[in-house]
Amino acid sequence: MSGITILTAYDERPDVSGELVYRAGGTDLQERLRTTGGTPHILDLTGVPGFAAIAHTDAGTTLGAGTTVATVAHDLAADYPALALTAAGLATPQVRATATVGGNLLQRTRCWYFRHPHLSCFKSGGDSCPARDGRHLYGVAFDTAPCAHPHPSSLAMALLTYAATVDTTHRSGLGIGDVLGDGSDPGRDHLLADDEVLTRVTLPPPAPGERAAYFRSISRFEAEWPLVEAVCRVVRDDAGVVRACAVAVGGVAPTPLRLPAVEDLLTGSTLDEATVSAAAAAARRGANPLPETGYKVELLEATVCEVLDRVRS
Amino acid sequence: MELTTTVNDETRVVEVDGTESAVEVVRDGLGLTGTKLVCGSGVCGACTMLVDGEPVLGCLTPATRLRGASVTTVEGIADGEDLHPVQRAFAHHDGLQCGYCTPGFVVDAVAFHDRWRADHHAGEPGGPDRETIAAALAGHLCRCGSYEGIYRAVAAACRGELDGGVGGVERVDAPAKVTGAALYTTDVVLPGMMHAAIRRSDVPAGVVGPIIFPDGVVGLDLLGDDRRVRWAGQPIAVVAADSLAQARRIARELVVPVTAQGFVLDPEAAARPGAPLVYPSRAEQKAAPSAGEGGSMPARWDGNRHGPTRTPFLGTVAKRRIGSARAGGRRGLVELEFHTAAQLHTAFEPHACLADWTDPQHLRVWLSTQGVDLMRHAIADRFDLDPTQVEVVAEHVGGGFGAKLSLTTEAVGAISLSRLARRPVRLVLDRHEELTGTGNRPGSRSHVSLLVDDDTQAIQALIVDTDSHAGVAIGNSVAALSMLLYDRTPRLARDVDVVTNAPPGAPFRGPGGPTSAWALEQTVDEVAHRFGRDPIDLRAQWDGNQKRQALYRWAAALETWRQRPTTGSQSGRFKRGVGVAAGNWIYLVDPDCEVVVSVESGRLVASTAAQDMGTGSRTVVARAVAGVFAVDPGQVDVRLGRSHGGTSHGPASGGSRTTVSLWSTAVEAATSLRDRVGTDLGRAPDGASATARRGGDRGLRAVPMTMNGIQIGRGFSAALHVTEVEVDSRTGKTRVLRVHGGIAVGRIHAPVLARSQCEGSIIQGVGLALYENQVLDPHTGLTLTANLEDYRIPQLGDTPEIDIHFHEDGWDRVPGGGVGLGEVATVSPAASVGNAILNATGWRPLSLPVRPDRLLEGLRTKVSR
Repeated sequence: MSGITILTAYDERPDVSGELVYRAGGTDLQERLRTTGGTPHILDLTGVPGFAAIAHTDAGTTLGAGTTVATVAHDLAADYPALALTAAGLATPQVRATATVGGNLLQRTRCWYFRHPHLSCFKSGGDSCPARDGRHLYGVAFDTAPCAHPHPSSLAMALLTYAATVDTTHRSGLGIGDVLGDGSDPGRDHLLADDEVLTRVTLPPPAPGERAAYFRSISRFEAEWPLVEAVCRVVRDDAGVVRACAVAVGGVAPTPLRLPAVEDLLTGSTLDEATVSAAAAAARRGANPLPETGYKVELLEATVCEVLDRVRS
Repeated sequence: MELTTTVNDETRVVEVDGTESAVEVVRDGLGLTGTKLVCGSGVCGACTMLVDGEPVLGCLTPATRLRGASVTTVEGIADGEDLHPVQRAFAHHDGLQCGYCTPGFVVDAVAFHDRWRADHHAGEPGGPDRETIAAALAGHLCRCGSYEGIYRAVAAACRGELDGGVGGVERVDAPAKVTGAALYTTDVVLPGMMHAAIRRSDVPAGVVGPIIFPDGVVGLDLLGDDRRVRWAGQPIAVVAADSLAQARRIARELVVPVTAQGFVLDPEAAARPGAPLVYPSRAEQKAAPSAGEGGSMPARWDGNRHGPTRTPFLGTVAKRRIGSARAGGRRGLVELEFHTAAQLHTAFEPHACLADWTDPQHLRVWLSTQGVDLMRHAIADRFDLDPTQVEVVAEHVGGGFGAKLSLTTEAVGAISLSRLARRPVRLVLDRHEELTGTGNRPGSRSHVSLLVDDDTQAIQALIVDTDSHAGVAIGNSVAALSMLLYDRTPRLARDVDVVTNAPPGAPFRGPGGPTSAWALEQTVDEVAHRFGRDPIDLRAQWDGNQKRQALYRWAAALETWRQRPTTGSQSGRFKRGVGVAAGNWIYLVDPDCEVVVSVESGRLVASTAAQDMGTGSRTVVARAVAGVFAVDPGQVDVRLGRSHGGTSHGPASGGSRTTVSLWSTAVEAATSLRDRVGTDLGRAPDGASATARRGGDRGLRAVPMTMNGIQIGRGFSAALHVTEVEVDSRTGKTRVLRVHGGIAVGRIHAPVLARSQCEGSIIQGVGLALYENQVLDPHTGLTLTANLEDYRIPQLGDTPEIDIHFHEDGWDRVPGGGVGLGEVATVSPAASVGNAILNATGWRPLSLPVRPDRLLEGLRTKVSR
């Protein structure tokens, strides 16, 4: 029988039997509960003090896990434009107003096999990835893990470019990669323990002069899961030379990817057209698409090219 | 836990268990059914409500978030009788059709409007632009495609044009729809009502053993005597329980012994010898469902191939000419092969039924249907009742698009279980079921051979071969429709159904039409390009339809057409192109249609056993009667959506026959009443009434008989779409910028509503052209695109600027001077997008939808022309 406890502290555990599920904004969970008819006991995090707090210190900016995506898009636009632009570009206004940073990082995959009530896969109790020899038009183009669908977190991609760290109730200072893993355990979308709660995300101090661009390749106007997405942040000196840059992409690999090869080409350049083209082409390196995702390799280059064009204009 | 919340300024206390979403509490717990549940996954926004003034999604917001909050639902937006300016704007600019998505749009648009007005000076000219509105309302979808009206409404409200109580109403039921008062089948609740759920097959082929329902469970086995399931998702059994959750659990846990059998999903594989047979026996073949309207033509079976059904005119000549042109390598012969994907109806009100046997001989059925009277007879037939013992009610219908024209599981299940349980039973499909098994516009493969004179391009022969892929269904006519446009040449159509173990197709607005045009109209365009001819001139040279000739003259003068670029001339990243395509449809009418007009307490009342699924039949009747009495249409109470509406027969909303059947009948009834009682209604005897029956078009029918309330009238309606696109050659994305739709159906009886319907057909065509694609898992046959995230329909921001032109001549011999437009308006939009993409890029898309991956591949591999 389902029930709910509105937690007032992260480590509070009600004395109930059965499945326990943490809930932040609920935008992912509520849909899955409806589809599966599941009735777990809900541990609602929204009542925990500081869950949605933002703190600015000399060491950087700390976002409570319950900070909404809309707040990130709005309040961090000046200091962390790559993150804010990404936040503004995902989902819909209503989802952004409810969905949280923690929930976005820890959401389950959007694969249509996983979400199907009558199919099972690695991530829903099965022992295979039916998308591989089934349909995987929206699958990975870097086929490096047993599950063939990309991780859905756009914020994770943007946070990679800031080398942001994550605190949980058990651990602190985790990188995004530590949280999401590399996909080698195909049953999981993140590596937190069942009773471990993501509490905070910490960004380094803002980089003065940072310029950023985000682009999501989709078929319609907006409000669509990305075929490919990319984000880029650069800091240039007075002569226009790139002193620091970070580029990350999503929708193509089991988890979002930083692209050091692209960054190396851009760093020290003036973002001239030839360099941008070469850097965008470098994004394809290592791609090994599935039968239906070959287009994503071309689209990846195009999407990276797009953010580089935007950031230099 | 107990939850106290303030809803529309009233304190309410409800019990929640923690997992529910806000929409369930608001609809089921508080009875505020204005808020709708459509996608259930945060995509469509129909469940939007304000929580502490902020728009939130009712389906994804945990109910517990309402604790201590102030909630405003669509019912609380108006101040008593005084509508909010946004609500008045939606009514005045017709930002709605079926109305099922409207509450969500209205609530969110109110929040946007209030923000925008707070940030801008009153009276600031212009108002928000389309992009601003699209971004603000990106979390909403409308399947009818009322986006143009929504843009107009939101901008006008923000400009303050609807302040101070002004603004007329175009659609007579718009006030009910913008306030949440309109009652749909899904909203009806009866005391003691049970909820039903369907158990469906999760294998695409198999034989099912006996189903034993647990003690005390009200259940019904739905399978036929052969115990076969033929597609994944096919209903097997239906059960009812006190709550929906309970019914779903019982359905899920029901023991269904299935012996899986060989199956085939790919039509190419299905057509090969040795493929598993979908219908192995003659008896099974005969029982195959039809995807067409009005049954299927008898044809031969060869394995999984049914057909061909031939539609020839000098077919042997056509074959001989094309054969020798092919042998001779004639330049005038163009041959292309096209593919289309299945398009899902996804009406926003799901298939829903609430059945109540008031006594063993009387049945009242609330049913989301396109034909209350049609269903009354179908139900009476099925349950062995006299039609007078059955009442079908559909006060408002949240869209249908062709998928709600037959007696399907939600009705059979609810009615049967209600009889067993002796209680009312409600059966409402969820979005997953709606997107799996309620029908689709079938996919297809078409091969077109079109031969023209090398010098004059006079048309010499046309052969169209279409394999339709309607899953387990047959009866498709696609190629046959290609024979009706260019009627001055020997020609031959061959239609084949290739059956597979995929979900069945069903009629979808203009069945076969858009599919046929996608192939034929692109082939015509290809001829024009090969010979450097103007595609409009070339069509005008071949086309015998005078109404379409008028549309050609209109289109040729359009600035969009005159400024079109030379094909393949553009070298930049963004490539603009313009395409044209023609459409054609048959004219159907229901000669048995009846309308009663009466005076009740000094008010005009018009009754008919028709229904309004957003197409505007309520408004058409109101305008017809109002015109006769010279009053405002709002002064006429229209009673429809009931099979016992005081008349014995009303038209079904299918085959574009509703308006042409209702209009002149309502005018005649009203005229006869006016002649009797005059126009001073205050002095008219209470209850005075007059009835009229439509009757056929004397001497002008194409086929001298009426079948199932349908008479095929003489003449064809015509359409032409001129479409401008912009292709982003970097990301593969196509945007439709502008569409001019020319529609020749004669006199338009409700111009604003007619425009909305034509705009919607263009938007559905954009979806067909660019986004919509049913995808099945090849190993299980299960539908992967059974949600509105993976099944992608056009959004507000995808809406082109649309200009609708009505050519009103040419139908004077039809009573009322005009015919239906719901279908002819859907035929050519997608094909015009295809031709525009060719003009923009030099690459012709042959397969639907033209997704980014296909476009990128096309541009990469295209041979320069």
